[in-house]
Amino acid sequence: MLLRLDKVQRHFGGVRAVDGVTLDVEKGAIQGLIGPNGAGKTTLVNVITGYVPFQAGIAWLESDQLTGLPAHRVAGLGIARTFQNIRLFKDLSAAENVIVGMHSRRRDDTLAQLGTLPAFRRDHRSRVNEAHRLMEVAGLDPGEVGHRPAGTLPYGDQRRLEIARALALQPRLLILDEPAAGMNPSEKQGIRELIERLNQDGLTILLIDHDMQLVMGVCTRVAVLNFGRKIADGTPQEVSTDPGVIKAYLGTGSEREVTSAPGATGVEEVAEEVRAAAATKRSAEPATAILEVRDLSISYGSVNAVRGASLRIAAGEVVALIGANGAGKTTILSALSGLIRPSSGIAVFDGLDLTTAKPSAIVRHGLAHVPEGREILGRQTVLENLELATWARRDRAAATADIATVMKRFPILAERKNMRAGTLSGGEAQMLAIARGLLAKPRLLLLDEPSLGLAPQMVDEVFAAIEEIHRDGTTILLVEQNALRALGIADRAYVLETGQILLSGSGDDLLHNPAVRRAYLGG
Amino acid sequence: MDFLIQLFTDPVGFWSSHTLLISQIAINSILASSMFVVLYSGQLSLAAPGFMAVGAYTAVLMSLYLHTPLAVNIAAGTALAGAAGVVVGLPVLRLRGVFLAIATIGFIEALSLGVILNLPITGEGLGLKNPDADPVGGIYPVLISMAVVVFFLWRLTKGRLGYAWTAIRQDELAALSQGIDVPRYKLIAFVLSAVLAGYAGGLESHLNFFVDPNEYGVPRTVQVLTFAVLGGSGNVIGPVVGALFLTTLPFVFQQAGDYIGVVSGVILILVIIFRPQGIIGRGGFAFVRPRWWPRPQVSAPSTG
Repeated sequence: MLLRLDKVQRHFGGVRAVDGVTLDVEKGAIQGLIGPNGAGKTTLVNVITGYVPFQAGIAWLESDQLTGLPAHRVAGLGIARTFQNIRLFKDLSAAENVIVGMHSRRRDDTLAQLGTLPAFRRDHRSRVNEAHRLMEVAGLDPGEVGHRPAGTLPYGDQRRLEIARALALQPRLLILDEPAAGMNPSEKQGIRELIERLNQDGLTILLIDHDMQLVMGVCTRVAVLNFGRKIADGTPQEVSTDPGVIKAYLGTGSEREVTSAPGATGVEEVAEEVRAAAATKRSAEPATAILEVRDLSISYGSVNAVRGASLRIAAGEVVALIGANGAGKTTILSALSGLIRPSSGIAVFDGLDLTTAKPSAIVRHGLAHVPEGREILGRQTVLENLELATWARRDRAAATADIATVMKRFPILAERKNMRAGTLSGGEAQMLAIARGLLAKPRLLLLDEPSLGLAPQMVDEVFAAIEEIHRDGTTILLVEQNALRALGIADRAYVLETGQILLSGSGDDLLHNPAVRRAYLGG
Repeated sequence: MDFLIQLFTDPVGFWSSHTLLISQIAINSILASSMFVVLYSGQLSLAAPGFMAVGAYTAVLMSLYLHTPLAVNIAAGTALAGAAGVVVGLPVLRLRGVFLAIATIGFIEALSLGVILNLPITGEGLGLKNPDADPVGGIYPVLISMAVVVFFLWRLTKGRLGYAWTAIRQDELAALSQGIDVPRYKLIAFVLSAVLAGYAGGLESHLNFFVDPNEYGVPRTVQVLTFAVLGGSGNVIGPVVGALFLTTLPFVFQQAGDYIGVVSGVILILVIIFRPQGIIGRGGFAFVRPRWWPRPQVSAPSTG
């Protein structure tokens, strides 16, 4: 056994985040760890790696006891990890990030650094070479990205760089926390191949991910957590047919949830539903628009993130903006809410010029933005987060009533109203972010990646909420990585590729268009 | 302007007539390096003048009462400042950001009110006379010291220690995951910073015939922080350039007279707005355009 956990426990106040988990990871295995959002997967990883102290229980890495060790010692013993929200050293170059990872196994060279210049150079070059080699292992081109600041790399490359940095520790165990989150199918396939290749080279891997295809396809064993307890542990086959797992993981809900059971692709079934739903919906661009964007271009320094994008949204529509990572979706939303300024083009929302108006004026005019990653205030309670959203309003009584209304829409928020927002699970945090957006009483709501990192059941709940908000008369512009789900509720959609609008039309048209599948769904 | 003209037309005369200024630049550069080390490791420590005082008073008191050689005095002052760095650093390094800044200001105030201004041996606030000071002969050791310090730090920042500091500055949690003992490396930076400040203090006390207790308070810490911010704390050269710039400023703008504070204030504001990374920083010589700065008008077709 490489890693052994014995009744590991960690509670936060009344929340039993990890509640007596026993788990063995065999040497050379790819061990999966799955469970619905809030099941305690990341907390378990944080306990093992020394970020959060053990409350009870013991863990060993072979003969080394991990209990009570600080995080840097755990890393030194040979457990490398990546983070759910990528944590690279953003200002360091990609190669330097990997060099930092070599820290714990280079003890001798601080004094050599002060020696002669040639020795210093030689030493530095050998490290850079090793960093480049590790980047190649992780599937990065060192010549292309090695010298670039890590924060400027595309999202997928950042994920790979984090893995390269972890490899620099020469770990005995590599823990990957949602390495495929937010990736399109072809990128996911790349990550899958990387994981398999690393494992073939003898590395033991503990993989946490929401993508069932990935976990079930790549793992030799899978453990399932729910409410901090391990409810199943076995081969992917055993786990995916375990009724307890299906119930815990997928909930007892609509037909769709059952058809997209673990192991099944689910894609075709959903696509079928979407086609049926979309057949009844409009497809033409509206004549009168509440939001009109024409020839919008946005650059970050020398990078042209958006190049001449045009789109129109009529009052009452749900419009999806889809496209692969780095296509420019979030950039467009940020420009619409005034957070960044376009270099050219027009964006008008109901008579207000969005390219010059202040963000606060844009919100007052009725355009609210729920950002990617939620951006809630973790140290404030749920209620305080909502109250802050009404801070600028004079009509206190009406504001209080509005808070009560959004809490009725999201009952989980009423239940958790006195908890710190930072302790919410991903799905709950998304609900809070949407609720906060609604308090601005928007006529147009911009939603950026509401399903990012959520378990399927939670995704259903979030999308149900979006549909309800739409039924109440709010126009919605939805940016989504999960194209099938987005097309399922959208009247129309625009497909964005490398900063340009590639196609637009009804969800149905787009689903049948082979160009879309190639551009977005990865063929 | 006479100052700059002389620098280029008569460097030898400049050297002999501005010896004290050049020494002061070098000492301020060492102080700026001391500030650089803590900033580079992500700690907003403002304790430098406190450690400087430890170095200065130790060196002068030893020369007054023990009559030991100059080198021994300065070495002892430097070592004692380093020891003080450990004593102060262990408790305060749990703090971050502005809390650390306030705790280190507390250290300066405590040292100043409790030791420098109150004890008979330190002159009870009247300062100390240092009959052994040697402003003219001091310039060579001071300049060599500065060069050695800058070279030494440059090497450190490019090595394992420097990467560990950068990692801590950018993301402590990620640094831990790379096996970096964060508290330890923070303490190393803090103590190294104290050592450099103590050394600068010891050197400075032997350039002036008088050790002025008012030199080691909060205004000095603000000055040193300004060196680093103005020059840029992304690499070793930045704070040194900041020190050079701000120390010579009163001489370059002699006409400004008492308004020199206004001039340097305006320059600092301009740098912060247009070069937030400092004079020497990433991005070559590019300037940042603030959001409120007028932008070129884009000729746009009218909306439909």
